[in-house]
Amino acid sequence: MAQGVGRPRTAPLLLTRSWRQPPRRARRDWGAAYALLAPAAALLGIWFVYPIVDTVVLAFQQVNLFHFSERTYVGLTNFHQLWVDPAFHHSLFITMIFVLLVVPAQTVVALVLASALQSVGRGKTIFRTAFFLPYMTSTVAVTTVFMKLFVEGGPLAASISRIFGLPDTTWYAEPSFALPFLVIVYVYMYIGLYVVVFLGGIENVPVELHEAAKVDGAGSFQRFRFVTVPGVRPYVLFVIVAGFIQAVQIFDQAYVIASNGAILGSPAGATATLVIFLYQQAFRLNNLGYGSAAAVVLLVIVFAGTVLTRRLLPERS
Amino acid sequence: MRTARLQLAGRVLKYGVLGVFAVAAIGPVLFALYTSFELPADYPRFVSFSRLTLSNYRYVFDNAPVLRWYANTAFVTFGVVLGAVVVNTMAGYALARIRYPGRALSFLIVLAILMVPLQAILIPLYLLVAQLGWLNSYQALIIPFIANPFLIFLMRQSFQNVPTDLEDAAAIDGAGRFRTFLKVAVPLTMSGIATQAILAGTWTWNSFMIPVTFTTDPNHYMMTVGLNSLQSQFYTLVTVQMAGVVLLTVPIVLMFVAFQRLIVPSFATAGIRG
Repeated sequence: MAQGVGRPRTAPLLLTRSWRQPPRRARRDWGAAYALLAPAAALLGIWFVYPIVDTVVLAFQQVNLFHFSERTYVGLTNFHQLWVDPAFHHSLFITMIFVLLVVPAQTVVALVLASALQSVGRGKTIFRTAFFLPYMTSTVAVTTVFMKLFVEGGPLAASISRIFGLPDTTWYAEPSFALPFLVIVYVYMYIGLYVVVFLGGIENVPVELHEAAKVDGAGSFQRFRFVTVPGVRPYVLFVIVAGFIQAVQIFDQAYVIASNGAILGSPAGATATLVIFLYQQAFRLNNLGYGSAAAVVLLVIVFAGTVLTRRLLPERS
Repeated sequence: MRTARLQLAGRVLKYGVLGVFAVAAIGPVLFALYTSFELPADYPRFVSFSRLTLSNYRYVFDNAPVLRWYANTAFVTFGVVLGAVVVNTMAGYALARIRYPGRALSFLIVLAILMVPLQAILIPLYLLVAQLGWLNSYQALIIPFIANPFLIFLMRQSFQNVPTDLEDAAAIDGAGRFRTFLKVAVPLTMSGIATQAILAGTWTWNSFMIPVTFTTDPNHYMMTVGLNSLQSQFYTLVTVQMAGVVLLTVPIVLMFVAFQRLIVPSFATAGIRG
């Protein structure tokens, strides 16, 4: 039935198209398109698509790092083991705490900085450059520097202990301080990125709304609360979810503070995040299959986050 | 009168907040820079600038293969950037401009790959590299990272932002697709291509997880991995470590200052997508 309706329409459509663009030329272009795509397709296929599939396959296998060509299917064993493994639960817990500390902190600070930046006349570029600079630098460099600042008696550890009455200690070596230390290092690097995202969002709020609020007698804080915040709400949601997706992938900083990667998750497992867990299983304990099962969990978390982002993302961007 | 005073207070507060955070952002960078010129015996005290020296830099070059790491990093970065610019630009053009069967599907695949973090596919990547015998090699750090879904997406966007008129004219004059692509479309998209080169270059220069996993031989380290190893080697020599930090960071910071206008907006969306 549907075909019957469709058929008479097809002919004139084809005619118009061939009139506009000769089919010969279009056909010839197909070859060009495939030729232009071929290198990217081959590389993406080998280095992205295959590894994604293989991660899932490995998750159902038992594979030793040193005999990696011998793969045995073990069904759901790896996932069952994850389900009961306290170390895995611990890594999820650590990651969750990390995310819960990082995401609100960077979202609020970035929003405040962006709205302050938006309304200053002078020095906007200089401030923006200053905030963004840490994001350009290497995770290893930043972590190394912060380790010197937060060492016992070091510039920041000492002054924080003086001001807030916390013990003057080496943060990254103290179990209860190591995760907050990671949070500080991480937020330091990412704030600038989200400031720039929010700046884009704030610039999309019509100036007329601010003018109208001013006429109605709103002060600058009220305007921030009732004009800027609702205007950038989609960006706030977006920064929360994107920040979450980024934060669950934390690895570099935790690796660097763990004595050059020798004792991953140190001190005493305080920084054993999800990726650290899967890395340790695969490359320190040689359980490639078990590590891959944890990688599948990471994939699912990131996938859920991305789907959520696509929903929340304002149509234009 | 009162509102004027309030406004002034508000502005002072605003600059105060911005200033505090700007100092917080720049402070660690200045700390590293200053410390890298200090004599090990002087750290952690502040000393006059006349006591500062280059000795840490000399020390780190003499006692660690820093030059080799620098060369490795430069070579790998150059390789990725060169390959990326060619491969992703071609793919981006096809996706933006040519109607071919399967176009929607191929774009969907690019979008799907876009959200997969490297951390999640690291294990099979390592297996591939190991099976090819590529551990401790340059190609393992270059070839897998040439084609990049985000950069393809970026190039598609750049081509779409350029009007098609000139390309249509070239086609009417009898230029084939490849000629049109190379001689007409690419010159119009140079800013997109430059952005791509900067993004690929920064990611590669700063990359850590991949080189630390794929290289175990210090001769094949990149600067990030080398710097990380300095931490244990020169554990007590903070000033020497800071010289390493500065060496790693300076090229990126210089590039950032030079290309600021191009970098900031593109990174904002890069963070969102990647």
